[in-house]
Amino acid sequence: MSGPVPDLAPLATSDASIMPGRRRSWLWPGWGAAKRVPLLVAGLVLSALIIIAGVLAPWITPYPEDAGAVVHPTQALLAPSAAHWFGTDIVGRDVFTRVVFGARVSLGIVVIVLVVSAVVGLSIGLAAGFFGGWLDAVLMRVTDIFLAFPALLLSIALAAVLSPSALHAALAIAFTWWPWYARLARGQAASIRRQGYSDAARILGASRTRQLVRHVLPNASTPVFVQMSLDAAGIILTAATLSYLGLGAQDPTPEWGLMVAKGQPLATTAWWVITFPGLAILVTAVAFNFVGDGLQSVFDPKRGRR
Amino acid sequence: MISVRDLRVSYGGTVVAHVPEFDLATGQVLGIAGESGSGKSQTALALMGLTRYSGGTVTGSVTLDGVELSTLSNRQWRSVRGRKIAMILQSPRAALNPTISLGTLFARTLKLHGVPRSERHARMEQALDEVMLDPQILTRYPHEVSGGQAQRFAIALVAALRVDVLIADEPTSALDVTVQSEVIDVLRNLRESHGTAIVFISHDLAVISELADRVMVMRGGEVVEQGLTEQILHEPAEQYTRDLVAAVPVIGRTR
Amino acid sequence: MNALLTVNDVHLAYGEHEVVHGVDLHVPVGPYGLGIIGESGSGKTTIARAILKLHPVVSGSITFAGADVLALKGSDLSTYRREVQMVFQDGDGALDPRMSVLSSVSEPLAIHGIVPKSQRRERVGDLLDEVGLTADLMSRFPHQLSGGQRQRVVLARALALEPRLLVLDEPTSALDVTVQERVLQLVERLREERKLAYVLISHNLAVVDRLCESSVVLYEGTVMESGSTRDLLDSPRHPYTRALRSAVPEIGVHRSALTRISTGVGTSPAGCTYSERCPFALDICRKEVPALLEVDGRQVACHRAGEAMTLPA
Repeated sequence: MSGPVPDLAPLATSDASIMPGRRRSWLWPGWGAAKRVPLLVAGLVLSALIIIAGVLAPWITPYPEDAGAVVHPTQALLAPSAAHWFGTDIVGRDVFTRVVFGARVSLGIVVIVLVVSAVVGLSIGLAAGFFGGWLDAVLMRVTDIFLAFPALLLSIALAAVLSPSALHAALAIAFTWWPWYARLARGQAASIRRQGYSDAARILGASRTRQLVRHVLPNASTPVFVQMSLDAAGIILTAATLSYLGLGAQDPTPEWGLMVAKGQPLATTAWWVITFPGLAILVTAVAFNFVGDGLQSVFDPKRGRR
Repeated sequence: MISVRDLRVSYGGTVVAHVPEFDLATGQVLGIAGESGSGKSQTALALMGLTRYSGGTVTGSVTLDGVELSTLSNRQWRSVRGRKIAMILQSPRAALNPTISLGTLFARTLKLHGVPRSERHARMEQALDEVMLDPQILTRYPHEVSGGQAQRFAIALVAALRVDVLIADEPTSALDVTVQSEVIDVLRNLRESHGTAIVFISHDLAVISELADRVMVMRGGEVVEQGLTEQILHEPAEQYTRDLVAAVPVIGRTR
Repeated sequence: MNALLTVNDVHLAYGEHEVVHGVDLHVPVGPYGLGIIGESGSGKTTIARAILKLHPVVSGSITFAGADVLALKGSDLSTYRREVQMVFQDGDGALDPRMSVLSSVSEPLAIHGIVPKSQRRERVGDLLDEVGLTADLMSRFPHQLSGGQRQRVVLARALALEPRLLVLDEPTSALDVTVQERVLQLVERLREERKLAYVLISHNLAVVDRLCESSVVLYEGTVMESGSTRDLLDSPRHPYTRALRSAVPEIGVHRSALTRISTGVGTSPAGCTYSERCPFALDICRKEVPALLEVDGRQVACHRAGEAMTLPA
């Protein structure tokens, strides 16, 4: 028995000397983190502008009625001017009005596809990864079958069976989109199951539902959400492709892809008819990609500070 | 051999480590003791010229055999690291490329540092013998060896390269106690047979006391005190050092 | 002694590969500490996981307060979860990175519904206070805490259910010695205040010495020696216990390993698992597995346990 237990009071401060940090949520990294990634800020601002424009379309466009089935035969194919910033289309509708209203349709499709495929993909992926065993095997084989088909062809086939409309196009895309999320979520859930905090939850007596909802879902979702924001651009382009092929939205719906498709024969004579909706697709795609890329670098433990 | 004067490591204007001075001669061991956040690892990185890769800046002077290291270019540094000065880390397995066998790794490392082909085999055999590893270990991959074996393998690399200075950053902290003493034995061997000077960094003064001639105690980026190991352990001038000494768990103290 | 936890001849495996070959443990009602001493690969963490029902048991029995742990279901299992808690090695990430200290520590209270929601915050404050943390840490997330703070939060969470038995798996080996000292003092205090019984897993004999009345020395899933910690440390009978004893780092002491360094290409011997590294091994050690026998008031599995062994020059 050598010596008394030392008085460690002078050391007690060093244990608590870690700087207080900002609270972080699992959905949003916080402005502090976001500001370090300029692309993310640019993407967010741009996306917000597009969404606001879509929401306020009836009030900020000069000819809101042109979003629907009206014709102005006397004003067909007018070049851009002060009265018609983006010119007019073949039946005389204001292209600017239709492009702004188009944001509603395109973003609507994106939301439907993302919500449907995230719900389906996360449910299947988390169940497979968390419970493992035969359930994992069955769910992942089904997922693999979906992944085995070229996604676009499968969407086209499904859209062709349904009557052409923006909603059906969205469902056809969602049908091929979820397996990617399922795969991603399954890998996350399987790795979280082996983490110390999963063991801790079991030891504390947490039910399986609680483990899933409180621990697995929040920790597995981040990469899926990042992937979703990266995918938004792809969905707009896929929807545009379906419309272009006549399998998606139908005239007079102001869908950007459809506008490009309809305007294509006029490309050399009335460039504005396809250029502005085309630009709208491009800008939106880029904005969402910025957001996705930015979120990825904020959440990536190798790059960001965790 | 290695001399440090007024070394400061800073990140964005905040000084995280400040070492006024130390000198280390051939075959000497300097122990740096401190808790996490004391600046001991930052000092190690600075001695290896690695601070610049993590975005920090170093001021002051570090000379090795009269050559000023702090002004070397990245290219010049590459001819110093692995030839004059080397480093081993807390988790050696994480530092070894998992996709190649230890033999391939060993041969490539020697080649990279200009050891002639004809000498490589002999150097490998001798170095493995010094760290008491069977040459058969060369056929294994990093995940197939234990933590202690991986650490001894890392020291064998150092021995084969015949560097003058070895920086050992917490080389025993992740190991079982029995394996710790193996690694200490091997380091002692290295210093005796090659005259390698060693900077031995640890939070555990007991481990440091087994090997070091001199000890430097750091806290919050500053040197609290330094001196001969005996003196630091038995007549520490600072309360903080006394606390560090007292914190070492000892058999039969209470109960 | 009034038995709280009894582990009897337990065998554990990963797939086909058996890693624990029949281990007995006995923990009476607290305050009491049982140490499991062994190096990595000795199977000590797997035993801890088996006690917590996180790892299946191949054969043998585990009894807690008279109940067969392996057969627990439903509300009995829920009760067991309240009475037996675990503290992990810090590196295991035992705290959910996306949960604040408040959510983490109050989670067991929520799961078992033992403290009404309105009082949880206050209860968490008391628990943090008990482990020496201040209430302003409640809104922090794990990455904003130091290693010592994290370990205290894990301890506070484990204590929330007022368990009768704690399993501490290398609770301090990822910490600096100074922080380790404070955590050990904390466990010492809690043990008396809460009348806790615990199983402490460590590779450091000095840590076990501080906190445990009795100890079991494990090597490659087999018990080498077990008995009172005092006996084991003062007069180790098994060569492996002696090796561990001499390997404890002490100020100003040059450790002699007393064990052969594994050369990296070992083959498992037919006899005693330790014979490959044992400097005292005889032919019989490599051929026959020694039985665990009573020697000198403790259990030893060594052919030469009765002899006074000296190192060959």
